[in-house]
Order: sequence, then C-alpha cells, then structure tokens
Amino acid sequence: MVDVSQHELVPEHTILEEEVLEEVLTEYDIDRTDLPKIKRTDPAIPDDAETGDVIKIVRNSRTTDQAVVYRLVVE
Amino acid sequence: MSIQTPKEIDEIEFGLMDPETYRDLSVTKVITADTYDDDGFPIDMGLMDTRLGVIDPGLECPTCGQHSGSCPGHFGHIELAAPVIHVGFTKLIRRLLRGTCRECSRLLLTEDEKQEFRDRLSEAHRLGRDPQDVLKAAIRQARKKDRCPHCGEVQYDIEHEKPTTYYEVQQVLTSEYSQRIAAAMQGGEDGERTTPDELAEETDIDISRVNEILSGSFRPRESQRAAIESTLDIDLTEEDTNKLMPSDIRDWFEAIPDEDIEVLGINSERSRPEWMILTVLPVPPVTTRPSITLDNGQRSEDDLTHKLVDIIRINQRFMENREAGAPQLIIEDLWELLQYHVTTFMDNEISGTPPARHRSGRPLKTLSQRLKGKEGRFRGSLSGKRVNFSARTVISPDPTLSLNEVGVPDRVAKEMTQTMNVTERNLEEARRYVSNGPEGHPGANYVRRPDGRRLKVTEKNCEQLAEKVEAGWEVNRHLVDGDIVIFNRQPSLHRMSIMAHEVVVMPYKTFRLNTVVCPPYNADFDGDEMNMHALQNEEARAEARVLMRVQEQILSPRFGENIIGAIQDHISGTYLLTHDNPRFNETQALDLLRATRIDELPEPSGVDDEGDPFWTGHDVFSELLPDDLNLEFTGTVGDDVIIEDGQLVEGTIAEDEVGEFGGEIVDRITKAYGNTRSRIFINEVSTLAMRAIMHFGFSIGIDDETIPEEAQARIDETIEDANDRVEELIEAYERGELESLPGRTLDETLEMKIMQTLSRARDNAGNIADENFTDDNPAVVMASSGARGSMLNLTQMAGCVGQQAVRGERINRGYEDRTLSHYEPNDLSAEAHGFVENSYTSGLTPREFFFHAMGGREGLVDTAVRTSKSGYLQRRLINALSELETQYDGTVRDTSDTIVQFEFGEDGTSPVKVSSGEENAIDVGEIAGRVLDSEFASEEERREFLGERREVTNLSEHADDRLVEGAEVTSDD
Repeated sequence: MVDVSQHELVPEHTILEEEVLEEVLTEYDIDRTDLPKIKRTDPAIPDDAETGDVIKIVRNSRTTDQAVVYRLVVE
Repeated sequence: MSIQTPKEIDEIEFGLMDPETYRDLSVTKVITADTYDDDGFPIDMGLMDTRLGVIDPGLECPTCGQHSGSCPGHFGHIELAAPVIHVGFTKLIRRLLRGTCRECSRLLLTEDEKQEFRDRLSEAHRLGRDPQDVLKAAIRQARKKDRCPHCGEVQYDIEHEKPTTYYEVQQVLTSEYSQRIAAAMQGGEDGERTTPDELAEETDIDISRVNEILSGSFRPRESQRAAIESTLDIDLTEEDTNKLMPSDIRDWFEAIPDEDIEVLGINSERSRPEWMILTVLPVPPVTTRPSITLDNGQRSEDDLTHKLVDIIRINQRFMENREAGAPQLIIEDLWELLQYHVTTFMDNEISGTPPARHRSGRPLKTLSQRLKGKEGRFRGSLSGKRVNFSARTVISPDPTLSLNEVGVPDRVAKEMTQTMNVTERNLEEARRYVSNGPEGHPGANYVRRPDGRRLKVTEKNCEQLAEKVEAGWEVNRHLVDGDIVIFNRQPSLHRMSIMAHEVVVMPYKTFRLNTVVCPPYNADFDGDEMNMHALQNEEARAEARVLMRVQEQILSPRFGENIIGAIQDHISGTYLLTHDNPRFNETQALDLLRATRIDELPEPSGVDDEGDPFWTGHDVFSELLPDDLNLEFTGTVGDDVIIEDGQLVEGTIAEDEVGEFGGEIVDRITKAYGNTRSRIFINEVSTLAMRAIMHFGFSIGIDDETIPEEAQARIDETIEDANDRVEELIEAYERGELESLPGRTLDETLEMKIMQTLSRARDNAGNIADENFTDDNPAVVMASSGARGSMLNLTQMAGCVGQQAVRGERINRGYEDRTLSHYEPNDLSAEAHGFVENSYTSGLTPREFFFHAMGGREGLVDTAVRTSKSGYLQRRLINALSELETQYDGTVRDTSDTIVQFEFGEDGTSPVKVSSGEENAIDVGEIAGRVLDSEFASEEERREFLGERREVTNLSEHADDRLVEGAEVTSDD
C-alpha cells in the first residue's frame, strides 16, 4: 500500500496538542466545531488521530512561505 | 423626518402552526363564498369582509382603525368540515406514518436506538450538519421493524400516492386459496403430486381440516397458511390496500408521544405532527389579494380569492351532505374535492394533479407560485427590484472624454436628479437651480420643505419658489458636469461591470463613453445599451467616488494586472509612432501631443539635412511617461523595450506595452505611480495614438490581401502537392500498406495523416502569402502589433482557408458514405471532406462555401450553449459563496462563524495590491527607504518619527516624565 502521507505533494499533517489547541481557539475566538473539518478516514492524517482531534496542516505557499490550516477530525 | 435604525434579528424559528393559533389570529370566521352584495358593499363574514383589512382609499379598517396603505390587513379563517392534508408536508407525513406504530403511535425504535439518534442529532447540531439526514436515518431504521417494539403490533407498509393519498398495504389470504393449493398439489409438469394425507401429515393439520380447506369451506388460520405455504412452496397472499383518511392520520399523529418526536429532531412544543393535517384554513388578508376594478366598473378578483371561493363552496356542500346523511361514497368524493382545492390553493404546480384554472384557461397563480422562481417574491421582489433614479439608453464612443467620464444626454440629465441639502453656503446656488425650472438645464424638478412637503417645480412657479428656498430645504437638482453616477452593462459578470463615472452633460440621445472602458464592460457599439444610476446621498456618492470610479478599477482582481488600456486603433497608432521611429517636424509633433497635457516640446531629437529640428516617435511618446520610470522587458514584436528615466530608448510600443489585459507600462505606472497617474497616462496614450494613426493614415482594402499571380501559382502548386500526398496516403491505405500509429486504428491514422498534410499545406500557403506582404501592410501591422487579427486570419484571407472541421474531425456527415451528392461514395479525398483550397479573397466554390458554413455553425452553437451553461454555473457559485466574508482578523468565515480560510487566500493579500510576475517582485526595503526619504525633511524628524528620539508631548502628566530624564517637574502653583 502506498502511504500518501509520504508523498511530496501531501503537506504535513500533525495532531495538535490540547494546550496549543486552546491557544488557537482563543486566538480566533471560536469553538472547535467552527474549524474546517477533515474525515477520520482521510489517508493523509496520522493513524492515531481520533474523531474530535484537531489536525494542523502546514502547506508550502508561493506567496507566504507557509500556510497553516487547522481541521477538526470528524467520523 | 424620523430615521429608522435597522433592527438586528437574533433568531428565526420555523415551525408548524397550531389550529388554535389560527383561530386566535383570525378576526372573523369566513362562511360565505360571496364577496360583495348588490350595492357593492363587502358581505359580512365573506371573503372581502372589511375586518380583513381595507384596500379602498378613504375607508377605515374596523379592526385596526387605519386607512388603506397603512392597514397591514388581518387574517380570517375557515373551519374545514373535514381535515385535509397540507401538501407542503406530504413527505414528512409519509415518513412519520412509516416510522411510527399503527396501533400505539410510538416510534418503532428501542430505547437504545432512540438514544443513538438523539446523540446523532446533537452531533449534527454541533457540526452544523443537516438534521434532516438524521431523521431520514431514524425512519430507515424504524421501517426495518416488522412489529412494534412497544406493543407488539404487526406493522404494514405505507404507500403514498401523490400528492395526498396514503394507503396501508396488508398481506391477506387470497380468495382463491383453495384453487392455488389444489394446483400446487397436482404438481407442475415434472413436480410430484401431493395427496391431502401427505399434506396433513407434513403441515400438522388435521386431515378433515385439510379437506375443508381444499373445498374452500374453511379459511386457513395464519399459522396454517404459513405451514401450507412452506410445504408447497407457494404464495397464498394478496395485497389489500386500505386508504388512510386524513382524519385517521390525524388521530394517529395525535397519539405520537412528544418524546418520540424529539428523537426525529422535531420540536414538539412548536410543531406537533397532527398540525400537518389542516382542520382550520387561514384566510389571507385582502391586502394580499386585492381586487381590481376594471374600466367598465366590474370587479376582478385575485386568483387567491377565486381559490378561496372554491374552498368555501365545497366546504359548505360537504357539511350539508353530511348532515343530510348522504352515502359514504358521495362524502368521500366531496372530501377529495375539498382536498384538491386546499392543495391547489397552496401549490398549483403539483405533478400528477391537473392545475386549477381560471375561466380563460390560464392556470391560477396561488401561494407557492407567488414565491417560487425568478419572478417570485424572493428572487423577483426581494433580491432584485426595480429602482428609481436610473436611465438606460444606447451607448456610443467618444474618444474626447476621459475614461472616468460618461456622456449623459441632456434629456436624461434633466429627468434624473441629485438631492441637494440647502445650507447657508449653497443657498445662492440652490436658488439658481430652482429658478431655472424643470426645463432649463441646470434646473430642479422638486423641492422639499423642512416640514416634509414636496413641491413640484414648474415653469410657472419656479421664480417664486426660488425665492422661498431657505437653508434646511432639499432641492432635487438636475445632473450637472462632475456629478458621480453608477454605470453598468449586463451581464454583470465581474465587479468592473459596474463602475462610477463623472457626468458630462451632452446633446443627443446616447450615453457616450471612452473606448478604453469597453474591455471591462465587454461593450461595443453595435447597439449595446447600458444603465445609469444617480446616487441619492452623500455617503453613497463618496463611496462611489473613492471605491468605484473607473480609475480605481484599472487593475483587475482576477489576474492583478490592468484590464484597462489602449485597444485596437490605439495600438496600431502607437505601433506606427514607435516601430520605425519616424521623424516629425515641430508642427507635426505639436499636433500629435495637442490633446495631452504637454504644451511645450522637449529639446529636438536632432536636426535634419535642411537644418530643421525634428522629434522622433520615441521622444514624442516619452513625453507621456513619468520622468523617473525605468523599465526593461521583451515587447510584443519580440524586440527589447527599454525605458530609462522616463525616456523610451528602444523598442516598439504595442499591445504588451500599453494594451488592455496586462500592458506592461500601464501596469507598472498604475502600481508605482497610482491610479490617477495611470488614468492620465491611458487617456494620453489613447489620444496620442489617435493623432498618430490619423497622421499616418490607416485603411485596409481588398488589394491589401491580394498577392501577385506568381505567388498564387506557388500556393496552387503547394496545395496540388498536398492533394497528391493525400491521394498517396489513401492509396496506401486501400492497398493495406498504411501502418497504424500506436494506440490508433488504421482509419484514425489515415485521418490524422491527412489532417496533418493539409494543415501543413495551409501553413505553407500562408507563408508564401506572407512573403508578399510588406511590413507596412495594414493587416500585418494590426496582427503584429496585437491590435486586431492574427497571422492566421491573414493566411485565410490571402493564402488558403484550409480544412473545415466539425467536432474536431474532417467533415464526415451528410449522406450515406459521402458528404454531398457531388462526390462518389467513400471518397476520402481532401476536397470531399471539407478542405477549402481557396482564400477569402479568391472566393470559395459553392461546395467549399457549404463546408465552411458547417464549420461556422458549430462555432455559433458552441458559444450559445457555453454562455447559458456558464451563466447557470456562475449563479450557483455566487449563491454558494455569497455569504463568505473576510473578517477584520483576516479569516474568511461564513454566517455561522465557521472558518473557511484562516488567512484570506492563505496569504492575506489582494491580487490587485501584489506585484505581477516573479521578475519584478517588490523590494520592500527599497520602497521603505524611498518612502522615508521623501517623507521627512531632515534626519532628525525621521529619527523622531521612527521612535529613536521622542519629543516631550505635554499630552499627559506621567507619560512625559519618563522622557525627561531626571528632570524636575515643577508646577506653576
């Protein structure tokens, strides 16, 4: 099986620590359900990600060096 | 004048309405189907009862005491003789029937399952998902149950016959059970025979019973039936459908417990399911269904009133018949009729039901039709409305206008007004407008006194009125030069389709606009019309001026480069001016620059043989450039364009330099010197170009595309060659010697090779034609400068039109095995499949012309289909994205505050504000240095601003203390 998370076009997906998450949520003044969603079955997310976790995705960007996106894992 | 402040809506809740609420809401019960009596007065408790609101002017509403116009109208009600189903809820009714028990009405789910769906519901609520999906899943789960988990009752299938009939389908013993058993016992052709004894033994039924069953005198019980069925492998049942009357359904729904409803995501307090079955019908106020008095004095009623009349009539007949004890059949017929009328009252476009019609045969426009679709209440009356202060007329070009301006016909300027608030300072001016009256040009049409009265300015009263005008009045004055208006051309596909222009009042009847704003509007002058809107308050005018003016829209947000620039003849003009760098004497040079700001020529570029000074095209063009502009890039024609210190040193100015859609110089000037400088530049380039093209003269005719006979002979030869090669290919193919290309069949290979050969032939013909065109040939000038047309167009005009194609292939349609009856069947030659050997100048043969028309038709059809498809696609995209908004913290969120992007576009930048192309990336350090240098007069000031040294400000007692090191603060007292 191909592990897509190793593919060069797939950006880095990491599970966000609870404390860091709190900071993010306060920064944007939102609940975690206001985040964009990602499926639990998405092959790009780490295997130990559970529903309710928040994934941090760091993409390379042409205009800003890095673009960071947070996504809530849903079933 | 009271100013209404907008109220914020916290929440909207949707639910069903309790019949009791309908009754409470109602001001009267409506019992008579008649509207007016013989004297023309509304009948009490009729459909036009005055208590339902007044529409005739002068009458007072007995309910609210207001007059027509301010009385909002009041609901009445009809007590329905029998319950009927509300068409809007047929799907939910079906779901509830299927998901609840026919006996105890409870949801067919166990406690655990209910809990699961409750959880899923709160999850859906939390994640903003559709709760409807949970309801569907719950019903699907409930339908799987054969028996009620609460009372054990067997459940039957519910069938729904559209629109409003429900059946319960039961499996019952067929009446032919004895025959079927007998037939099965005989066995089929190869089957074994079964004797009654064997049957009795295997099914455990007494032999005498078996005989009784076989004779048809005893109906087998449920268990016996099952035993016989399994033994003989037959089906003894038939479907029995049992119609559920609305009253049955209502009883069924009434018994559903609140707790079970909540599992389905329905708020039981707000919406009880039995309310989906109507027992009371609200009668909308007369204000929603006004009657119209025709010229002959006859009243014509609204469609809704007609429908209500039908409902009341049937309702009364129903009651009378029931009281008289009419047979069940008649009652049911009337019930169905009542249902039909109530259904069509709400929606008259239900599939499977004939629409209710007007006497003339026109289908009635009932409630749903008023709301739905493009002309409905939402899209037609709320999202879009007709507006005042707007004008529409044909557009025509005027190159003397600035691109910021629009020429407005005087008759439009006199009709459309601007509101002017009179103060002490503009009192004189306001009086002058009023005294000019409505006919004189900068006049006024209306004035408004401080008490709110509006007075019309007429020719007769204008002089007197002018003297009465005081500060505090409002004057609706005519449009004058310099006013800002909004200008628009449909389809409004991007934001540049609506821009603000400054008014220039002009004679005649068309709107005039500068040709350089044609690209953003996608306008031409073949009869296009455009709309203009006059702005009515200072806020709107200021906003339009700052944000919407044409010069603010020079850069397109689509690709971040200029969308406004020189077009067509402007480009030919600059090309002629700069390509061969011609020389001009003083008179000529001044003439070229006469419409620009330049009124003094620079130092002459040189002195000619006669000793007269001359100016080159480059130098004349350079006069328009900012003095410190430096630019170097590869231009349209392929040469290098070099601009040093605002001086065009080298290169041709054409499309890629000053054109629309990313002309390099325009783009740079806009970004580095601002919109105003850019507007001036574009205006001046276009006027200079017009002068230049007029200086040289520019025209095109048949002769410009005609080539010498010798060249024509060579072209004919090339095409003859190609034809021969095609013949060879066909022969090779027929002999079976053609080798197929990888992945293609032999036929495809042949087609491809023929197409290749022929397109090469056309290119060759084009090249030969090309050789015979000089560089000053106007068609060549236009093609190479990018003003209009391409080298392909030239090839087709002078060389050879080439292969015509339909769906990307040679033309293959028409008759059986041939395209036209002029050819032999299965003729594969170039000629027989739409190769046009001739050029447009030499003329096409009839057959060529026909093939050409086929290819041309496809193009037309394609564009027609594409526009409608992309229009719908765009509408859907706009609807999906319209609620997304960039917040002040840089995130993009929807209306429920869910984040869509954490940073607008992932980089938080606007494409308009970013430099285009990698090579001229912005050097932030250099810009900062430049800004600082120009901003501060001295090094000291600069240090102070940057916070390296601060002056004592005296702003507050303590803030300065820290600055004054060790200073003793002494106070005066």
